[in-house]
Amino acid sequence: MSEKQENTTHFGFKTVEEDKKVELVADVFHSVAAKYDVMNDVLSMGIHRVWKRFTIDCSGIRKGQKVLDLAGGTGDLTAKFSRIVGQEGHVVLADINDSMLKVGRSKLRDLGIEGNVEYVQANAEELPFPDNHFDLVTIAFGLRNVTDKDKALASIYRVLKPGGRLLVLEFSKPIYKPVSKFYDFYSFNILPKLGKLIANDSESYQYLAESIRMHPDQETLKQMMADVGFEGTEFFNLSAGIVALHRGYKY
Amino acid sequence: MPLDNLVCGLLETGVNKLHQLDTSAKQKRKALDGTIIGVSLKELNKPLYFVISHQQIDVLSRYDGKADCFIRLNFLALLDLQDNSQLTGLIKNGQLEVDGDIKMVQQFALLLTEMDIDWEEHLSSKVGDLLAHKLVYHAKQCKKQLFKQSNKAKMQLAEVITEELKLAPGPLEVAYFCDQVSDIEKQVSALEKRLSHYSK
Repeated sequence: MSEKQENTTHFGFKTVEEDKKVELVADVFHSVAAKYDVMNDVLSMGIHRVWKRFTIDCSGIRKGQKVLDLAGGTGDLTAKFSRIVGQEGHVVLADINDSMLKVGRSKLRDLGIEGNVEYVQANAEELPFPDNHFDLVTIAFGLRNVTDKDKALASIYRVLKPGGRLLVLEFSKPIYKPVSKFYDFYSFNILPKLGKLIANDSESYQYLAESIRMHPDQETLKQMMADVGFEGTEFFNLSAGIVALHRGYKY
Repeated sequence: MPLDNLVCGLLETGVNKLHQLDTSAKQKRKALDGTIIGVSLKELNKPLYFVISHQQIDVLSRYDGKADCFIRLNFLALLDLQDNSQLTGLIKNGQLEVDGDIKMVQQFALLLTEMDIDWEEHLSSKVGDLLAHKLVYHAKQCKKQLFKQSNKAKMQLAEVITEELKLAPGPLEVAYFCDQVSDIEKQVSALEKRLSHYSK
């Protein structure tokens, strides 16, 4: 927490002032929004679809429930949730970045998803929703980019209904050494090059790799969730811990 | 668990890709819009949930709520599900258990099995009319030939067994044997009658 006192935070491996991080992250996503889906498929070799499916399986979502897909980006999870909760349910796709939100909205409209989906530009640290409102909050590959993670988790805790759950899908620490070696090589040598090749933007993907390393590991994040009040917190390692799904309940 | 997700994903992509080619699928999905159907194969004991919306079908390996309709069936019954007239029969002999609306099951079976895909039309946009026609024509011919050949092979095998190797009797032999049996039956019952007559 020493970072806090100096009012600085990390942006990848760099240290920047806290109020600058939002802008810097915004620039990254303004730059990648158009190619976001293609890049996801290429960089993860399509495995991100399996991770997202696992997230949906763990969500326990039912017809008629309210879902907040935070940092929902281009709306992969929102699309599925919208179909599962049906017309009586409600899904809110929230993202802090308006470029991502626009891409998400046009993609979902093209898919014919409307009626039960709302689009909100919101900061995870100060969610503009009433207390005890959602049955489920998901944040997939978004928490990493939030400046004050504790504040965001507390804000999520506030908007969840008692009995509701939070799912955090995020890059984490690989649990096996060899995997870790290969993964490091991949993310610092291949990933930025692919970014350059496809989206013509290597810095954004350099940031992606760096921000993953700075993100708290499985146990730390679990503890952070417990600290703001989540109960029954647990995590599942996916693809040998490259990605972890954290789950916590509010009772 | 991610393996389940992978299987579900592949299944979902496959079904939806086929549905995109089928012009009538959208209409059929509309009839079931917003329903969730659980299917469990008795052999695997692993339920799959089909979330049907007018946009597409989603396949989930877990759903915590109550499905609108839940089906448990044998793997073999899966093939018979196509035929609506057999549904009641399947339920009667215990191969199919339905928890919910039976009409939904019929519509669902129709949705998955009866796809009306005009391959020739879709192919023609890729390789041109002429080639598409030729390809489909030859594919149909091949199918016909294969069908014919397999029928022929079956018949020949039957003849080898009954006529040449004499492993099994031919139909006439069986009929003759049956006649002989029933003759003996008649004689025995006549004999019984006479015996009972004498023993009185």
